[in-house]
Amino acid sequence: MIGGLFIYNHKGEVLISRVYRDDIGSRQAADSAVSSSSGPFPGERLGGSMRRNAVDAFRVNVIHARQQVRSPVTNIARTSFFHVKRSNIWLAAVTKQNVNAAMVFEFLYKMCDVMAAYFGKISEENIKNNFVLIYELLDEILDFGYPQNSETGALKTFITQQGIKSQTKEEQSQITSQVTGQIGWRREGIKYRRNELFLDVLESVNLLMSPQGQVLSAHVSGRVVMKSYLSGMPECKFGMNDKIVIEKQGKGTADETSKSGKQSIAIDDCTFHQCVRLSKFDSERSISFIPPDGEFELMRYRTTKDIILPFRVIPLVREVGRTKLEVKVVIKSNFKPSLLAQKIEVRIPTPLNTSGVQVICMKGKAKYKASENAIVWKIKRMAGMKESQISAEIELLPTNDKKKWARPPISMNFEVPFAPSGLKVRYLKVFEPKLNYSDHDVIKWVRYIGRSGIYETRC
Amino acid sequence: MPYLGSEDVVKELKKALCNPHIQADRLRYRNVIQRVIRYMTQGLDMSGVFMEMVKASATVDIVQKKLVYLYMCTYAPLKPDLALLAINTLCKDCSDPNPMVRGLALRSMCSLRMPGVQEYIQQPILNGLRDKASYVRRVAVLGCAKMHNLHGDSEVDGALVNELYSLLRDQDPIVVVNCLRSLEEILKQEGGVVINKPIAHHLLNRMSKLDQWGQAEVLNFLLRYQPRSEEELFDILNLLDSFLKSSSPGVVMGATKLFLILAKKFPHVQTDVLVRVKGPLLAACSSESRELCFVALCHVRQILHSLPGHFSSHYKKFFCSYSEPHYIKLQKVEVLCELVNDENVQQVLEELRGYCTDVSADFAQAAIFAIGGIARTYTDQCVQILTELLGLRQEHITTVVVQTFRDLVWLCPQCTEAVCQALPGCEENIQDSEGKQALIWLLGVHGERIPNAPYVLEDFVENVKSETFPAVKMELLTALLRLFLSRPAECQDMLGRLLYYCIEEEKDMAVRDRGLFYYRLLLVGIDEVKRILCSPKSDPTLGLLEDPAERPVNSWASDFNTLVPVYGKAHWATISKCQGAERCGPELPKTSSFAASGPLIPEENKERVQELPDSGALMLVPNRQLTADYFEKTWLSLKVAHQQVLPWRGEFHPDTLQMALQVVNIQTIAMSRAGSRPWKAYLSAQDDTGCLFLTELLLEPGNSEMQISVKQNEARTETLNSFISVLETVIGTIEEIKS
Repeated sequence: MIGGLFIYNHKGEVLISRVYRDDIGSRQAADSAVSSSSGPFPGERLGGSMRRNAVDAFRVNVIHARQQVRSPVTNIARTSFFHVKRSNIWLAAVTKQNVNAAMVFEFLYKMCDVMAAYFGKISEENIKNNFVLIYELLDEILDFGYPQNSETGALKTFITQQGIKSQTKEEQSQITSQVTGQIGWRREGIKYRRNELFLDVLESVNLLMSPQGQVLSAHVSGRVVMKSYLSGMPECKFGMNDKIVIEKQGKGTADETSKSGKQSIAIDDCTFHQCVRLSKFDSERSISFIPPDGEFELMRYRTTKDIILPFRVIPLVREVGRTKLEVKVVIKSNFKPSLLAQKIEVRIPTPLNTSGVQVICMKGKAKYKASENAIVWKIKRMAGMKESQISAEIELLPTNDKKKWARPPISMNFEVPFAPSGLKVRYLKVFEPKLNYSDHDVIKWVRYIGRSGIYETRC
Repeated sequence: MPYLGSEDVVKELKKALCNPHIQADRLRYRNVIQRVIRYMTQGLDMSGVFMEMVKASATVDIVQKKLVYLYMCTYAPLKPDLALLAINTLCKDCSDPNPMVRGLALRSMCSLRMPGVQEYIQQPILNGLRDKASYVRRVAVLGCAKMHNLHGDSEVDGALVNELYSLLRDQDPIVVVNCLRSLEEILKQEGGVVINKPIAHHLLNRMSKLDQWGQAEVLNFLLRYQPRSEEELFDILNLLDSFLKSSSPGVVMGATKLFLILAKKFPHVQTDVLVRVKGPLLAACSSESRELCFVALCHVRQILHSLPGHFSSHYKKFFCSYSEPHYIKLQKVEVLCELVNDENVQQVLEELRGYCTDVSADFAQAAIFAIGGIARTYTDQCVQILTELLGLRQEHITTVVVQTFRDLVWLCPQCTEAVCQALPGCEENIQDSEGKQALIWLLGVHGERIPNAPYVLEDFVENVKSETFPAVKMELLTALLRLFLSRPAECQDMLGRLLYYCIEEEKDMAVRDRGLFYYRLLLVGIDEVKRILCSPKSDPTLGLLEDPAERPVNSWASDFNTLVPVYGKAHWATISKCQGAERCGPELPKTSSFAASGPLIPEENKERVQELPDSGALMLVPNRQLTADYFEKTWLSLKVAHQQVLPWRGEFHPDTLQMALQVVNIQTIAMSRAGSRPWKAYLSAQDDTGCLFLTELLLEPGNSEMQISVKQNEARTETLNSFISVLETVIGTIEEIKS
C-alpha cells in the first residue's frame, strides 16, 4: 500500500502532494514540531507537519543530493521512497510497509500513463495547469493507499474535468451499469458513426556492438498499440507472423514452411493487455479480445533472433601523437532502398581535453558540442542501402593527467518505417454480433515505427 | 517565501470566499477554491478559511465538492469543532441519488481524521456496504478499515467482520479485493484475514477477472493458504500457471513467490518455476522502464544465490551499456560476478576489465571488486588483470586493487606469491585510508617475501606525524611489529621511532594505547610477542566457516517480491529492527547501543553470569585453549550430545559474545565475521574432571533463532545439562542487553 504520492519539479518544489495514510513521516518528529508552538512557520507546525516531513526528506536526500542517484528506492528514516523521473518531473510514492517494489513502480508508470492520456506530456506547466484534475485522479486511482480503478477508459466516467453541468439521468445509470458490468475495461453503449481502428507497431531496437563489428547483444522490445473507435462490444482477433502459428498452419509441404519460415519471427516472450483471453492464446496461440475504448497497449514482446539492424556503424579511431586524434565513422543503412530513415543522429564522444575539432561530412550537418563532449552528426533523411561518412580531426590539449581516455561508445538515434524484428500484422478481424456492422466496414490503419533504443558501437 | 505571507493571503481568500458576487458566479467561486488548494499544496496554512470552505461544500457542482472535501480531509484534525458542521452536508450527500456523489461523500467522511467522527460514519458505512452501486460498496469496504484505524486499538466489531467476509462474494472484483485489504487491517491483531478452503477457491476462480493490482494483492493473500492434499496443491498451481506470464511484472513476481512457497516441499517444482520465469525476468531486466529493471535485477541476484548457473547462458544480457543509470550498472556487475562459469569467464572478465577504466570512479571500483570476487574461483586470470590495472597508476584504481588483494590473499593463499610481486611501487598511488590500511597489512604479513617492504613502511613511519587517519597508524604499528619479527635488522630502528612517537606525541587514545601495549609486550620478551601476534591467526583449514556456496530456495522464498532483495538483507534487518524499537515507544531506555568505552555487560547481569557456574556442580577450567586442528579432529569424531534452539533476533557484536563467554571460561576457537549469514562459531570448554565440551553456534539466514549443538567427549548427562544452562544464560544475557 502507498502512504502518499508527491510530485516535484526539478528544483524540488512540491507541485502535488496527496497523503493517504498517517504513518508516513516520523511521528516523533511531528510531535516535536507541534510542541515547538512558537515556530516561525505556522504552516509547518499545523497543516501537515507529518506530510511536510516526508516531502522535505525526499527533496533533501534525493533531489538535492550531490552524487548520482544510488537507487530508485530510497530509505529515509525507515520510510521507503520510490521515485520515477519523467523529463524533469519527479514522482515519488512513499510507504512504510514492506511492499512489493515492482508493483509500486508499475503503479507510478500507470499514473504517468493516465496523466499523459488526460493532458499530454508530463511537464511542470501541464501539471500546474491541471492540478485539480490530478487531485481528482489521485482520489479515484488510490483509496487509503490501495490502487483502485486505473483504466483510462473506465476512469472517464468519474472524472469531471468540466463538471459544471450536473449529470443527466442517462449518465448516472451508466455509472451503475459500468461498475457492475462483467468487463471492467469497457463501458457499454459506445457508438461511433465511423468504425475505425489504428494499429501501431512500435519497436525499439537495442544494440551493443564491439569495435570489430561483432554483435555483443541485440534485442528488440516492441509494443502493439491499438486505438479503437468501435461501437458496441466488438470481438477482435489479431494475427501476426509468429513462427509457431505459421509452422502449425504450414504443415503441408516442407518447401512451403521453409519459404514462410523466412518471414516468420520467433518471439522470445510476450505479454498482453488484460483484455486478451490468455487461455485461448495458450491453447491455439490466437489473440482474441474485446478492446477497451480509445488507446491501449495490446501487447508487448521481445525478440532476440534475426533482428534487422537498420544501421551499421564502422568506427576508426587513430591516435596521432599525444595531441591529436583522427576519427572516421562510416554508417551504412541496411534496409530496402525504397524506405527512408529519419531523424538520424550519430554521437561521437570526444576526450575531455579537446581543444578544437575539424569535421568533414558527406551528408547532413555535424557539429562539435563542447558542453556535451561529443561530435553530433545529424542527417534528416537517408534511404536504404546507402553509405555515408564523417571524418574528424580532434586536437587535444596536452595534459599531465595520466588518466587514459575511456573511449565511450558511439551511440546512434534514428527512426525507420518498418519493424526491425520483422513482425508483420497479418490480420485484425472485428466481429460485433449485436450491432449491424461487419469486418469490412471497419476502417483499419497499420503503421510500423522502429526507433533506436540504446544503439551503441564501441570504438 | 510563501510561508511568511500567509496571513495576507488567507485574509484575501477569506474575503473572496464570502463575497456574494463571487459566490453567485460558479466559475469564479471555483477558481478561488482552487487557489486555496494550490496554497495548501505549497505548504501554506489555509486552516483559517475552514468555515468558508464548509459553506462552499453545499453545492451541486461536483468538482467544487471534490475540492472542498480534499481541503476538509487535510484540515479536519485541526478544526474538529468546525468539521462537525460539515458532517451534516456529507451525511446528506451519502443518500444522494447519484452513486458518484454518494461514494465521494462517504470516502471523504471516512478520511476525516478527527476524534469523535466514528459515531457519525458508522451508519453511512453500513448503508454503503449494501448499496446497489459497486462504486459505493468499494468505498464503504475500505471505509471500515479507516474507521477501525481511527478507533486505534479498540475491539473488533464482529458483525462488521462477518459482513465483510460475506462481501468477499461480491460480483465486483474491486469490492472483493478491497474486502481482503480491509479485513487484513481490521484483524491485524489476530493475524489478519483468514483464508480457508472455500475462500481460497473462490478467489482463485475470480483471479482472471481482477485487474493487475487486485491480482498481485490476492496472490499475496493466497500465500497464507495451506492446501490440504498434494492433489489440491497441484490443481492450484495449474490454475495460476498463466499468471507466470502476465503482462505485469508485479503479478509475475507475485505468482512466482506463491509457487515457491506452496511448492516448498517439492524442490523440482521450484526449480521448474524459476526456469519458467526466466524469460519474463530477463525481459524486465532489459526493459526501458529503468526502475522495474532495477527491481528485476535485485531479484535475479536473489535467485542466483541458490541456482548459480541459472542465468549463465544469458550473461550477455547483463553487460552494461554506457547510458544506463548508475544503479543499474552496479546491479549488473554484481550479477555478472555471480553467474560466472567455465564457459563465459573469459568474456565476462574481458567485459569487466573494460568497466575498470570507466569515468565514474564508483563504477570502476565496483568492477574491480567484482573481479576480486571472481578471483576466488578463477584466481590466476583475475590476479593478472588486477596486476595490469596497477600499471595504470590511477589513484582510485590502485587503492581498490590493493584492498582486493588483501581479501584475496586471505581467502586464496596460493596467490600470495603473485600479489607480493605486484605490490612494489603502488604506495605512490594510494592516498585514502582504506587503501593505505590494506597495503600496510599486506606488507606486514607477507613482508618477508617483498624485498622493499621495510623501506615502504619506513616512508610511512617518516610521515606518521602528518597522517590524518588513526586507523592507518594502528595498522602501521601492528604491521611493523610483525615485520620486525621476520626481518629484525631492518626494522628495529624505525619500530623504536614509531613506538616513541605513538607513546609520547600521539593524541589519539586508541593509537597511544596500542603503542603502549606493544611496548610492554616487547618488554616481556620476543617469544611472547610471537605467541600473541602470530598464533591465533585463523587458519585456512577452518574453511567451513566461509559461507557455503548455495542456499536453499526456501531460505529466501518468503522474502521474494518484497523490499528485502531491493535493500539487501542486512540493510533491511536494521530498518525493520529500528521500526520494531519505534513501536515499543520512546520510554524504553536506550541501553542497546554498546558504547566502545562503556561496560560490555551491565553490572547486575554480570553478577548473574558469574553466580550461575557456581550454582551447578560444574567447574569450568580457565585458560584451556585448544588448537584449531585438535578441535576439528575431536569435533568430527564425536556425536552431537545435545541440540537446541534459542530465540535470537537481529544483529550483535561477536566480540561481546566472545567476552561474555570468556567470563564463564568458555573459549572461542573460531567465529564468522559479524553480519555474515549464516553465522557460525565454535566454542570449547573443559571442566575440572577433564571432560571436554565442544559447541557449535549457528545462525541461519532468515531464522530468528540460534541453533546450538554440543558434543562431549565423555557421556555425562548432569554436567552436560549444567554446561548447557551456563551457555543458555550467557546467550540469554547477550540477547537481553542487545534488545
